[in-house]
Amino acid sequence: MSKPEITVLYFAAASTATGLTEESITLPASQYPLSSLGDLLVSLHPDVGLDKILQSSQWSVNAEMVENAGEVTLKGGEEVAIICPVSGG
Amino acid sequence: MATSHPSTSVEAREEVGRSICVLTYKSLDIGEITQSVSDDSAGATAIFIGTTRNSYQGKVVTRLEYQAYSKLAIKTMTDIIRTTHQSVTRSAHHSAPATVPSIISCALHHRLGIVPVGEPSIVIAVSSPHRKEAFVACEQILEEVKQKVQIWKREYYEGEREEEAEWKTNSG
Repeated sequence: MSKPEITVLYFAAASTATGLTEESITLPASQYPLSSLGDLLVSLHPDVGLDKILQSSQWSVNAEMVENAGEVTLKGGEEVAIICPVSGG
Repeated sequence: MATSHPSTSVEAREEVGRSICVLTYKSLDIGEITQSVSDDSAGATAIFIGTTRNSYQGKVVTRLEYQAYSKLAIKTMTDIIRTTHQSVTRSAHHSAPATVPSIISCALHHRLGIVPVGEPSIVIAVSSPHRKEAFVACEQILEEVKQKVQIWKREYYEGEREEEAEWKTNSG
């Protein structure tokens, strides 16, 4: 069985830091905690300040805001976005 | 011009009853948006227009750029409209029958992409039988949008490198 993949969306500061607007990520395991995704992304994009951006951001999974990342397990196929502090208006 | 349009930052529109939420790359037409909430039962229409200001802390702003996670942003916008419809109640001094809504219609339009100085980035129109509810709802919608909707603003300053243009935050 092939390893599960997710799509990560980057906006605003996260997009500027990584130079990407979206990225396919292969999960290291078929059941992967969302709370581990930040470290995985930082390891793929080191030294661009992504860790600091993630500290002030929230996650969305399949276009729903995540209240508690500790309760979410990724299984592949999800669309995950880093939601930086918003600035509409 | 260093503009980035993520493929996920697209135009969107969704109706909620008689109200509408719109994300668009086109200029916002204030007259058209105002007209869209008009109703013969309205005694008041409150309008908020947010425009790009020409300065920030002494720096000259040349333009703003907005991007959205449209799929999620439009859901958040419609949630705000629904909540506002429910929470803004009739003025205490008006004893209208319960069948008369306190808010008739709302239009919430936010622009995406480059917004030059002086042009609107957000227009909110609310029609109501009475002025008080129209004002309250209009302000409530604006504050909720600024806090919650998945839209991001980047500000470009005169004489500064475009790559260093700052992504703003509304909180803190």
